[in-house]
Amino acid sequence: MTETLTGAQILCRTLLEAGVDVIFGYPGGAIMPFYHALGDHPALRHILVRHEQAAAHAADGYARASGRVGVCVATSGPGATNLVTGLATAHMDSSPVVAITGQVPRAMIGRDAFQETDIVGITLPITKQNYLVQDVTELAGVVREALAVAQQGRPGPVLIDVPKDVQNQKTTYTPGAAARATLRDKNTQSLRGAPAAAPGVSASVEDGVREAARLIAAAERPLIMVGHGVIIGNAYAEVRALAEKTGIPVITTLLGISAFPDGHPLFLGMPGMHGEVRVNRAIQHADLIVGIGLRFDDRVTGNTAGFAPRARIVHIDLDRAEIGKNVPVTVGIVGDARDVTHRLAAVVQPRTCERWLAEIHDFTRPRAAAFRGDLAPETILASLYQATEGRCTIVTDVGQHQMWVAKLYPYREPNSHITSGGLGTMGFAVPAAMGVHLARPGETVWAISGDGGFQMNMAEIATMVQERLPVKMAIFNNGYLGMVRQWQQFFHGKRYSCTPIWSPDYVKLAEAYGIPGWRVKEAAELPDVVAQANDYSGPALVEFVIEQEANVYPMIPPGGSLSEPIETAPASAGD
Amino acid sequence: MPDSHTVAVLLDDALLTLNRAVGVLRRRNVPIERVALRPTATAGVSQLTFILKADAATADRVAQQFHKIVGVRDVVLAATEESTREVQS
Ligand SMILES: Cc1ncc(C[n+]2csc(CCOP(=O)(O)OP(=O)(O)O)c2C)c(N)n1
Ligand SMILES: [Mg+2]
Repeated sequence: MTETLTGAQILCRTLLEAGVDVIFGYPGGAIMPFYHALGDHPALRHILVRHEQAAAHAADGYARASGRVGVCVATSGPGATNLVTGLATAHMDSSPVVAITGQVPRAMIGRDAFQETDIVGITLPITKQNYLVQDVTELAGVVREALAVAQQGRPGPVLIDVPKDVQNQKTTYTPGAAARATLRDKNTQSLRGAPAAAPGVSASVEDGVREAARLIAAAERPLIMVGHGVIIGNAYAEVRALAEKTGIPVITTLLGISAFPDGHPLFLGMPGMHGEVRVNRAIQHADLIVGIGLRFDDRVTGNTAGFAPRARIVHIDLDRAEIGKNVPVTVGIVGDARDVTHRLAAVVQPRTCERWLAEIHDFTRPRAAAFRGDLAPETILASLYQATEGRCTIVTDVGQHQMWVAKLYPYREPNSHITSGGLGTMGFAVPAAMGVHLARPGETVWAISGDGGFQMNMAEIATMVQERLPVKMAIFNNGYLGMVRQWQQFFHGKRYSCTPIWSPDYVKLAEAYGIPGWRVKEAAELPDVVAQANDYSGPALVEFVIEQEANVYPMIPPGGSLSEPIETAPASAGD
Repeated sequence: MPDSHTVAVLLDDALLTLNRAVGVLRRRNVPIERVALRPTATAGVSQLTFILKADAATADRVAQQFHKIVGVRDVVLAATEESTREVQS
């Protein structure tokens, strides 16, 4: 079974053996041996992006949509540094991405050689683990370990830097051998979490679950708060069972959206900076919050000093370091969202929360007509829902459109909403949607961007055309870096400094790439155009020309309390 | 004077592991008073010791981050006075 292979061949073989079927990348000098070997491995489909950032985002989109590792490849120096934003994005959102970078030959490392950069050093704080491969004999073990580390426990990105001469070096290779035993042991040990009991953290899952069940039985105003961990851990059914057995209303963070069915009677919506008033008020009145797979990010809590002042917090998370990091907890349970929620649902006493639900219902504010003209985001998203019958994955970019989609689109299918939450990376949607398509080839994928973020990675239309990736692109064109403009309006005296943004003619742009493009200015055109774009067999683009100065309401000012939302534009000198 | 806590991290003798461990501390931006690296009785394992100018909750929050590093074998957190001895490995 043992054969002699080059490092480059070993890279291809170990990836294939791990079930990797697609990689996103861009060649260059230091990674050429790998690209040469790729020619002998047609089962490993390579997607040639137009910028390495897109390779990392596409791998991330693939990983989020499939739950398996997404792989990206780049050359040394500028190729590697172009991956950085994508790796940081994956790191913040716990996405299992493996990046393989070429490095200058070992003898040149440390001499500031042409296109040498310390990518291992650069990515240290934004990867879960990274490696500089010193010898070809290590390579297979390192790749196998990297793929395992990326997925184990709380997922995250891993980078493997492979010097060019190591790619050409030969060694004996045994297919399917395990990752280096020593490293694997250490790894599971370090991922086991802290043994020492710190304030709030239960000594065992069993203790924590029992205590949490007691708190749930005693609570008058409980809430279940669902985060990305429920999607990563595939805990939808368990969360639903817990909610239905106890009647506790459910809120989902930005990355938790689609983890709980939108139309469910217990579903309240999204909390935080742009959360609905009733959701934030429910948090402020709650006496118990059961948080599952989330990290109480500042966009969710506002000022933590004023967050949920009446509530005790039960926090379930796989990552021990998250418990008590941002908010003090009464009961912390370190464990997998699915397993712990299952056990909790099994032991809780059945109950209802009718009075509390009615109270929350009274917090509801009628949504003020925030849009002039009839092409409101709500109308656009309704027609999208209609055209897709709610069966598509939506990948959003970052800005106002992202918040509108998060708040207004009624997600039905689990994990059908994908966005850059933690890092808030503009330019994410278009390349990530390519990865989502490859993970779910039979399903429709819409990438929804603003006019700003779309222009960051619109070169990827060429990738879609060349690689036949039928991604549907929607652009919410408001002529502004809208979310920043909104902050300028609210907090900077309406000085719109450097936020008006010019766009090309997107219909002509589509034409230049040889794909269909539409511009929609009135609601009456929506059903036709959206249906045509949705049904088209290849990539397609639709620009929605929306009101320029529309705002996302309500808004909790940064660092403010969830109790004090902004619900209308401030009167200003400019008005 | 702020509380003082000692974090002792037992880790593999590997520059990248050490780099990650030091990086965690820098990244979490907690002031340190002293830092020391020394070999332990176990071959291949070093002990990295930080004295943090931080209260117990902050020190715990930082200490937890070390557990996530591949190559870290153990993390011991203590109020400074009690922990000047070498952690047994
Ligand atoms: C890479 C990057 N640069 C800058 C920002 C800061 N930022 C957040 S939202 C936003 C405006 C986005 O504008 P656009 O894409 O047009 O979306 P809109 O808010 O108008 O819907 C900016 C600049 C960011 N999040 N990411
Ligand atoms: Mg815009």
